[in-house]
Amino acid sequence: MQLYLPIAELPLNLFLLLGMGGSIGFISGLFGVGGGFLLTPLLIFVGVPAPVAVATSAAHIAASSVTGALTYWRRNALDLKLGTVLTVGGLLGTLAGVFFFNQMRRLGHLDLVITLAYVTLLMSVGCLMFVESIGAMLKRRAGKVQPMRKAGEHVWYEKLPLTMRFPRSKMSTSVIPLAVLGLLIGFIGTVLGIGGGFLVVPALIYFFRVPTSIVVGTSLFQILVTMIVATLLHAVVSQAVDVLLALTLVVGGVIGAQFGTRTGQALKGEQFRLLLAMLILIVGIRFALDLVAAPADRFSINATELER
Amino acid sequence: MRRCLPLVLMLLALTGPGRSEELVLALSTREVAITSTYTGAEVTVFGHIERDGRTIARTGEYDIVAQVQGPSGEVVLHRKGRFGFIWLTENRRRYPKIPLYFSVLSAKPLASVVDEDGRQRLKLGLEHFLPAPTPDTEERDEFGFRNALLRLRREEGALTENDKGVTMIRPNLFTARIVLPAKAPTGLYLVNISILSEGVPLRTAQAGFVVRKVGFDAFVANAARNDSVTYGLFTVLMAVLLGWVANVVFRKD
Repeated sequence: MQLYLPIAELPLNLFLLLGMGGSIGFISGLFGVGGGFLLTPLLIFVGVPAPVAVATSAAHIAASSVTGALTYWRRNALDLKLGTVLTVGGLLGTLAGVFFFNQMRRLGHLDLVITLAYVTLLMSVGCLMFVESIGAMLKRRAGKVQPMRKAGEHVWYEKLPLTMRFPRSKMSTSVIPLAVLGLLIGFIGTVLGIGGGFLVVPALIYFFRVPTSIVVGTSLFQILVTMIVATLLHAVVSQAVDVLLALTLVVGGVIGAQFGTRTGQALKGEQFRLLLAMLILIVGIRFALDLVAAPADRFSINATELER
Repeated sequence: MRRCLPLVLMLLALTGPGRSEELVLALSTREVAITSTYTGAEVTVFGHIERDGRTIARTGEYDIVAQVQGPSGEVVLHRKGRFGFIWLTENRRRYPKIPLYFSVLSAKPLASVVDEDGRQRLKLGLEHFLPAPTPDTEERDEFGFRNALLRLRREEGALTENDKGVTMIRPNLFTARIVLPAKAPTGLYLVNISILSEGVPLRTAQAGFVVRKVGFDAFVANAARNDSVTYGLFTVLMAVLLGWVANVVFRKD
């Protein structure tokens, strides 16, 4: 059944959209990430104009993170204080991101910025996580106890001024590195149409050693707030949010996310990180190939815009 | 009296023997509505070539060429180039005001209707959807952007040439079938019909139709543009509510 999308200005199959939203929602619920880093390129692939794909993904991410965050909230696995600090930084980053996005759209550099940023991010985060999780698995098999953080041990960036205690995450650290992390992720997330969850999760685990169970819920909370603001700003500034496309993706997405959450509960920490790393690497390799392989056609129509 | 002479001659030319044919057009619709189920559309032009006793006698049959021009807009064309081991956009060309839909319909291949010279003069054929290349732009088009634009727009269905698009029902009665793709831009479409006989242009006539979003799709498009804050709030509210509903529905306890 074909459904005409009023802002994307093309008809797409309703069941294709529900299925796409559903499978990305499943992955999102499974890993506690937004899933936009898969959804945006998929939408572009089926013909949705890039600005609409980026802006509408934000609404889908908001919906799937509501579902996930509520589940974690009920299990008391959500550090609201930590989430709020990340969110404040994230909102500032989002603001910068939306204006940057709109500027790039006008200049026509968006595809290059998106592709280069994707490849760099996906490949580096994917590789780091892959190596780390394999290492952790080998150590566990060898029967070694994983090194834990000693009480009172702090890395240099945690010793910066403005110290704050986060009892639920069992840490005390300077607010500055957390806010900077939030800012970077808000900016990247908005420009690329991704929630940034796959950056928040490893960053909190590796840089701040927050317990994994708390990390996923907290990152979903931060993604949720950031993506609500991103959707609003995209709607006002670039006017590229397609409400009908969002509705079909969201309906599929929230159902998929619930099944993903259940599947994810059966996974061990390292298995979880290894699978996520592999997923990120696959997407990264696909984009890298796009850059390296000789194009079948050197020419491409990048944008067609009706005169208003 | 001498001043009136040209006027008298002109009147004679209009009413005298050897008058040209009249062309009467009718369209199957004046408005193509884009609704939620829109996947493309067809508009048919009906045309009648009127002759009377004073019309010049023709030995050959009539040839019809219909050119349909959609609303104008901007198309940006990119050309990739190799930088070390990666491929990046090297050049881009902006065509700020070209028709986003253009089609040429006839009953037989255009080349057998009128010769190259005539096509140039009458601006018949797909390549005329772009402004004629001046020596200046010609020189700057070293990368073949013009040909690439024609080729890509043709692949996208935004440029079509159909030598079976016109059907002659009677020697002086025809229909032209205009096919609009799923991604047809909204706006005014102009239909320009020329009658030729043995390569000689006889008459042209124009008609037009509008493609526009109606009902729900028009409402959404308007809201997104004119009421963007409410529109954004609504989208967010919808996403959050659906997320909450799913969480409640699938709750285990």
